[in-house]
Amino acid sequence: MTDVHFQRMKDLPSTHLLGAGTAMCAGCGGLEMIKEVYDVLGENTVFVNAAGCMTLLSVYPFTPFRGSWLYTAMASSPAGAQGVRDALDILKANGRMTEEEDLEVVVLSGDGSASGMGLSATSGAIDRGLDFIYLCYDNEGYGNTGQQTSPESPHGARTATDAVGPGNIGYKKDLFSIWVANKPAYAATVVGAEPLDLARKIEKAHELEGPRLILSLAPCPTGWGYDPAHTVEIGRLAVKTGVWPLKEYVDGKVVHTRHPGKRTPVEAYLETQDRFRHLFEPVRNDKVIAEIQARVDAYWAEVDVDDGTKA
Amino acid sequence: MYRIRFHGRGGQGMKTASRVLGSAFFHEGFEVQDAPRYGAERRGAPMNAYVRADRAPIYERGIILRPDLVIVADDTLVPIPAAGVLQGLDNRSVLLIDSATPEDEWRKRTNIGGPILVLPLPDTVDRSSLAMIGIACAGAAARLIGVISEDALEQAVRDELAPLGEAVVEKNIQAAMAGYAAMSDHAGTVSEGVPAAASGAGSPDWVDVPVEEVRLSGPAIHAGATSVEVRTGLWRTFRPVIHYDRCNHCNWVCSSFCPDNAISVAEDGRPVIDYDHCKGCMICVVQCPPHAIESVLEVEAAAAERRGSA
Repeated sequence: MTDVHFQRMKDLPSTHLLGAGTAMCAGCGGLEMIKEVYDVLGENTVFVNAAGCMTLLSVYPFTPFRGSWLYTAMASSPAGAQGVRDALDILKANGRMTEEEDLEVVVLSGDGSASGMGLSATSGAIDRGLDFIYLCYDNEGYGNTGQQTSPESPHGARTATDAVGPGNIGYKKDLFSIWVANKPAYAATVVGAEPLDLARKIEKAHELEGPRLILSLAPCPTGWGYDPAHTVEIGRLAVKTGVWPLKEYVDGKVVHTRHPGKRTPVEAYLETQDRFRHLFEPVRNDKVIAEIQARVDAYWAEVDVDDGTKA
Repeated sequence: MYRIRFHGRGGQGMKTASRVLGSAFFHEGFEVQDAPRYGAERRGAPMNAYVRADRAPIYERGIILRPDLVIVADDTLVPIPAAGVLQGLDNRSVLLIDSATPEDEWRKRTNIGGPILVLPLPDTVDRSSLAMIGIACAGAAARLIGVISEDALEQAVRDELAPLGEAVVEKNIQAAMAGYAAMSDHAGTVSEGVPAAASGAGSPDWVDVPVEEVRLSGPAIHAGATSVEVRTGLWRTFRPVIHYDRCNHCNWVCSSFCPDNAISVAEDGRPVIDYDHCKGCMICVVQCPPHAIESVLEVEAAAAERRGSA
């Protein structure tokens, strides 16, 4: 058990563990989230990094972390986490490491790896009941290589591979539900723009054992097309419009930690980003905007506004 | 063959500038190559883009090592070795810098022999709109080269930027023409370099490095947060400045939301910005509840700092 409890904004740390000087874009929503998560997990954390934007976090001899970082291929980070976890367990069993020195093993991966090519390795890790946290920064595309469409790109968004016409014709994959269907120890969605909600969930996840998912929306100024200054506003709008539900799965049920009774229309979120501009200019595309709104409405229609549970 | 290299920071429109210049050459009947070149870093980080143009087919490939013209959209890049701004300049290469520092000062600093020009942009070009600087540089380059007409330049801007809408295109044409006009006294300063031939290539200046044990050449790092040695503050084009008379010492807002951990809270509760690492995203400016943080153009803030310390 940690002795930190996040009741109010003032309870959030005012000094931070993550080192400055990383190569991430100015205004990176993913980096903002990792900084907040690292403060709660603490120094006794080892990151197993799937190839992606965050590849550039640790480039020898520079690292923003206070401890170890292991780099893996895009599809195999849960396998890397298994190896690290096993090694730590052996050290503990041999008496070469105390319980206090133990490390939290955290996979750090983008959505392309988490929901696409790395999903098979994740599935195996869940099957084996691996004791790890899977931390996904979801910037809704293959951001590192120029924002190509990923399984998490939203419907209608223009990407490098859907640069013209209607944008992405597919729909965002529901990674949270894929995990929940397999009854993990814990699963939650977060966003860096809601640091208190995030801190509470990371604290909860940290106290549990087994496969745990932290799925974070990671607003991306470079890939989504907006001024980097607006990363937090856009994250908040994703919550207020209901596009990014904040929820957790614990004790066998899904509970929403925010359930906006009166949601802001989705277009307030869409119109902030160049990737959706074609829905508004030169001619407004009411059909697609209405479809996106209808899908969000249908999601929230199943959420109990009183206790936040989902049918 | 003309070999032109544009240097800027990610987000300053240098890739677009190289495309526009390439298209303008094409409209004048040239064979053209243009390509951007990025490092592993991102928006705000040094990048370059290059253009080759010739009346004959171009067989050269790869980065330009011996440029005829180098354009620098951000003068803070010149002293950064990794940016490679001065790489391969000789006595006939032209260096064009968008800078408030005069030419003779750049001559002293760089110690290069070729022509150095400073781009005097009229006030009509919106300098706070970074992409406008890039397009103005493309216009200036076109005039310096001397074989590109205004019509070809305008058509190139239309070709490259048409998907962004007519208003954006017009604004860019205006900026491109401002750059073109600014260089009227220097039209045709840039001359063509000779095509490279494999037969004339000398042996590379290789340095033999003795093989070292791994523990010497790649020692294990036993320190945490070594990334602070990387000064990402150089990426900044705008600087957040805290007005402490308006700061209500709320502790967490600017510091919590800064993605780069570049704002720490001092013991007295005052937030302090670490300008060695702040990339200038301006999230703190937007989020500060009492609006106590102001966004200032980096060049102006740095100039004010120099005046203050002098």
